[in-house]
Amino acid sequence: MSAVKILIADDSRVMRQIVTRTLRQAGYEGHDLVEAADGRQAYDTAVSERPDLVLSDWNMPEMTGVEVLRALRAAGVAVPFGFVTSESSDEMRQAAEAAGALFLITKPFTAESFRDALDPILG
Amino acid sequence: MNHTTPTDDDLRVIAEQVWSSYLDLDGASPLIAKPADAPSHEVCASVSVTGAWRGHVVVRCSAAASRNAAAALLGVELDDVTPDDVTDALGELANIIGGNVKSLLPEPCALSLPHVLVHGESGYPQVMEVCGLEATWLDEPVTVSVLESTVVERVG
Repeated sequence: MSAVKILIADDSRVMRQIVTRTLRQAGYEGHDLVEAADGRQAYDTAVSERPDLVLSDWNMPEMTGVEVLRALRAAGVAVPFGFVTSESSDEMRQAAEAAGALFLITKPFTAESFRDALDPILG
Repeated sequence: MNHTTPTDDDLRVIAEQVWSSYLDLDGASPLIAKPADAPSHEVCASVSVTGAWRGHVVVRCSAAASRNAAAALLGVELDDVTPDDVTDALGELANIIGGNVKSLLPEPCALSLPHVLVHGESGYPQVMEVCGLEATWLDEPVTVSVLESTVVERVG
């Protein structure tokens, strides 16, 4: 697998660290990881850094994850985008799918759940 | 989705999932569902639930367990764990468990920001003081603080 750039957007530094570690455990090593601590940063970083994949929390300051996704699509940025959230109501899944998200991983997640969601994109 | 009050078994399953996912990655140090010989409540992390159901989800543990949790969650050496690490890590732990408990409660509900107590001292993960008052009453100290979160809570 050639190195790809993954943007991790979460307002919790603990959760960004857990996502980073889980990516490594799932076998996605050697990739270029960039982080964003709020929705605005996530949008700006997705535009400027042109990542190959965005893993985003749902609720973040400045912009929610789904607002980031909608703004990216409105700006013509088609980066693969998935959510990593602590809850997943039917409404959230529908909104995520309608906005163009590829997957929604719920916490607590495992390396296996990352592989299931990410292999079709990065594999 | 189940809309009854969570049971002991529900909580055990949630906690075991959180531990196996984040705190016991190699399966060598699982959360064992039986009381410790010497229970400790040195560290207490909680989130509140409001809405159709109202209450609190509380995680209590010893100082040593909280430091181990912070080291595991943040991927740092035990000796390098700071008090802020403990506050952030235990707050996130309460948040994740609270989020999963919330999925078993009637809708709509919202989770509060986490609150962490270490040795009786309040800790609020990722906040800034907006204003404060340090005062004296009957020759005893009284303080009032307004703390704004720099984090938007995961409510749904």
